[in-house]
Amino acid sequence: MRLIAPCQTARKPHTRMRPTTVSRFKAALDHLEEGVIALFLAVATLILFASIVHRYASGIPALWEYTQHVSFNWAQELTIYLLIWMAKFGAAYGVRTGIHVGVDVLVRKLSQAWQRVFVIFSLLSGAFFTAVIAWLGASFVLQVRQLGQVSPDLELPMWIIYLAIPLGSSLMCFRFLEVLVNYLKGRPLPSHSYAEIETGVDTPDVEMKSRA
Amino acid sequence: MSGNSGIILILLVALLMTGMPISIALGLVVLTFLFFFSNIPVEIVSQRLFTGLDQFALMAIPFFILAGAFLTHGGVAARITRLGTAIVGHFSGGLALSAVLSCAFFAAVSGSSPATVVAIGSIMLPAMMQQGYPKKFGVGVIATSGGLGILIPPSIVMIIYGVSTSSSIGQLFAAGIVPGILMAAVLMLVTWIVAKKRNYPTLPRASLAEVWTAFRESVWGLGLIVVVFGGIYGGVFTPTEAAAVSALYGFVVSVFIYKDLKLSEVPRVLKDAANMSAMLMYIITNAILFSFLLTSENIPQNLAQWIIDQGLTAWMFLLLVNILLFFAGDFMEPSSIILILAPIFLPVAQQLGVDPIHLGIVMVINMELGMITPPVGLNLYVASGLARMGLTETTIAAAPWILVVTAVLLLVTYVPEISLWLPRLIYATPG
Repeated sequence: MRLIAPCQTARKPHTRMRPTTVSRFKAALDHLEEGVIALFLAVATLILFASIVHRYASGIPALWEYTQHVSFNWAQELTIYLLIWMAKFGAAYGVRTGIHVGVDVLVRKLSQAWQRVFVIFSLLSGAFFTAVIAWLGASFVLQVRQLGQVSPDLELPMWIIYLAIPLGSSLMCFRFLEVLVNYLKGRPLPSHSYAEIETGVDTPDVEMKSRA
Repeated sequence: MSGNSGIILILLVALLMTGMPISIALGLVVLTFLFFFSNIPVEIVSQRLFTGLDQFALMAIPFFILAGAFLTHGGVAARITRLGTAIVGHFSGGLALSAVLSCAFFAAVSGSSPATVVAIGSIMLPAMMQQGYPKKFGVGVIATSGGLGILIPPSIVMIIYGVSTSSSIGQLFAAGIVPGILMAAVLMLVTWIVAKKRNYPTLPRASLAEVWTAFRESVWGLGLIVVVFGGIYGGVFTPTEAAAVSALYGFVVSVFIYKDLKLSEVPRVLKDAANMSAMLMYIITNAILFSFLLTSENIPQNLAQWIIDQGLTAWMFLLLVNILLFFAGDFMEPSSIILILAPIFLPVAQQLGVDPIHLGIVMVINMELGMITPPVGLNLYVASGLARMGLTETTIAAAPWILVVTAVLLLVTYVPEISLWLPRLIYATPG
């Protein structure tokens, strides 16, 4: 989400006195989301690298004794699936960090009240779209499950792999609503600061507008 | 042109203007259109959201972003600026020249423009201001040379173009090298002329031994150039595999060789890279949906026919592309523009005999121009943030540089050999 009112950090530290069940659940969800995306990206990198090493090691006769027992035919497929899961959950994380940007040059010229209207409309649109996709995705998963389709190399049931769509999109919908509720409570919108995220250097003035 | 294309266009523009995320706007256009105006079942959407991403070539994006994140955090940028300063520091405007050269070096290991601005700018801008360069000049130089990030391969924007037009990413990368070097040379020349006229400071000449030391220190970072290009063009691996190797290489160099990044900071780097990649991939999936809608309504084909019927020649078409992209670049960021417009331009280009690889490079340089042109010039925002400078001032700072980049853009647009010579040499394919 792009920002209207300038603000810098996406997340506020949890300063509540007593952790409630809801806040515990939310914290667990946050950790799960962040854990999944970081882990999947790391694992995908390592698997693809291992498969390249294996491909070249297989060309060396002296190593055949070790390489012939291992097959990395599935590496490419698994890399793609891991990264698609990373992308679907990362998109939800992105709502929380305010990295999804739009064309806001016109809206920024409006009065505060109208800006508020457009922010609420945008967040609701995001929640609506992701909810529809989650629903369509869920019915698609059920359909695939009945067909019993499996993936070409790993022979994993495809419905499990396609679960990324309804799960990721539901989470994203939840994040849009969360940002909306926080906004209505008067908290600033999350905005992604490019320099801070990219380098860790302290440049609070750098606000995210769009990206390459 | 049919009424359907009008509906799609109006819907898209209306939704974009509300300021909602571009990805959501694209997705909503598709849903609305399928629901109200078409017989295509809406169910196709959810499947496309997955299959749209199910391409190995696309996976180069998260890996290159991860590699870039490691290089930025891991002290590679700082060593590259030292090398740049050692090589060109003693000319007029030495520090500014070094900034351009460092951006070019960093661009050759990183695939993103704003990342290049941040990596090099956060080191060189303070140094330039300390030496008494006007802020305006520094911001202009950094924002413009940062654009080399997407022109000098590897380049995220080129991967996106390659995926959305089914062009070879290896050929696109090769095609970016000569225009990239040309752009860097022109920027350095202009910087040098301005510096000479305004008497900007020079640095003491670095001895050969100092240049050698700076080179040796940065050689691990620069080694990535050899890994990526040697790997891709030596046939060792595909661009996606090269990207994964870069990511791992970047990790090893930052954590174990330069030791500027602690092992405990790695999860944060991973998370940031995943965040950025996921955002891009979300736009990509929705843009693929959108271009599926366009294709199923025959819009690009009809448009191509219409343009041919108007008697447009190749150069008129390219000029039209330049102008359209210039305006689009003022409002949207490069990835979205390429994803929306490349599939529309491509059929026209092919009918007029414009090489898709050439069109890709033209679009990329056009995007660079957009990134230093207000109101949505991302490089400008990032650079002005680094220099703590107001936006109006920043806009003025960029103005002369817009002319310089435009000149290079026109040259590359109308002399296709600049971009096509190298890929033809490497791939030895006629046309």
